[in-house]
Amino acid sequence: MATDEELIAAVASGDGRGLEELCRRYERPLYQFIARHTGGRDVEDLYQETWLRVVGAARRFDPGRRFSTWLFQIAVNLCRDWRRRPPLEPVDPAAADARAGAPAATDAALDARRLLAALPEAQRSAVILRYYHDLPEEEVAAILGCPRGTVKSRLHHAMRRLLELARP
Amino acid sequence: MTDCDETLTALLFGRALDRDAAAHLAACPRCRAERAAVEGLARTLAAPPGPTPPPGLATRVLGAAEPLLARNARRAAGSILARALAAALLPLPVILLLDFYLVRAAFALLTTILPTALGAYLVFNYTATFALLLALTYGAIPIFVERQVRLRREESHA
Repeated sequence: MATDEELIAAVASGDGRGLEELCRRYERPLYQFIARHTGGRDVEDLYQETWLRVVGAARRFDPGRRFSTWLFQIAVNLCRDWRRRPPLEPVDPAAADARAGAPAATDAALDARRLLAALPEAQRSAVILRYYHDLPEEEVAAILGCPRGTVKSRLHHAMRRLLELARP
Repeated sequence: MTDCDETLTALLFGRALDRDAAAHLAACPRCRAERAAVEGLARTLAAPPGPTPPPGLATRVLGAAEPLLARNARRAAGSILARALAAALLPLPVILLLDFYLVRAAFALLTTILPTALGAYLVFNYTATFALLLALTYGAIPIFVERQVRLRREESHA
């Protein structure tokens, strides 16, 4: 079976089947990452935009790096840019759920989303990658482009903030 | 950063506590007091199932990526073609120089044994044939490159 790095090299030479396989491998984790990051808003657009950037920049991919790290880096940057855009319409969590393909949100789901949304951007990225994607701190650091110590510190601060928010 | 932060973060993110952290948790009143809150927070964060991508999303992405893939294919083929042409053009000055001296020597030899017009005619024929072969060789390079690109793509899927 071809590695991710071989597949992205194929995408760089215009191979659609390579892209199809990569989409299949990363569809769920990438989609869930974006959905958690944005609270379920504009997920499909951001998901598609991530892949378009991957294809567009495939020729510049450094084969010495891990594809998954690069992919999530692109997604993190897009989510960051998305945050800076003003919302076009008022946010309705139920509608966001429906758009993001999640089952009807329970109180707990809304709580989790509210908690994540209350975190600063950098802490939220670190928490999603570490907690939901179970990535090691080294890889989270590579994706976020910061030292491992910074990731640890962000996770500690995030935990403190989440504990404060979760207190009744 | 305190041991408390280390320990509680490990608890929150589901990491196994090492011996030191476990000892710290058992001994530290602050961590013991916060343990239940951290475990509750972990449960809250874990509660919502991840959203499922809608069906057809991958197809939409592939459709939207087609122009970019086509551009990548053109650029990849262009890059291989440029390398192939560069490699093929490298020996060309030497070939032309050698051929020039060969033609000149042949013409000199032929004119000593044949009328000048006949010698010039033979040399002209040789030169024209040589130029034609050269043009055919260089003209075939893009065809070979395209074939090579296609074969590589097929091999990568085999």
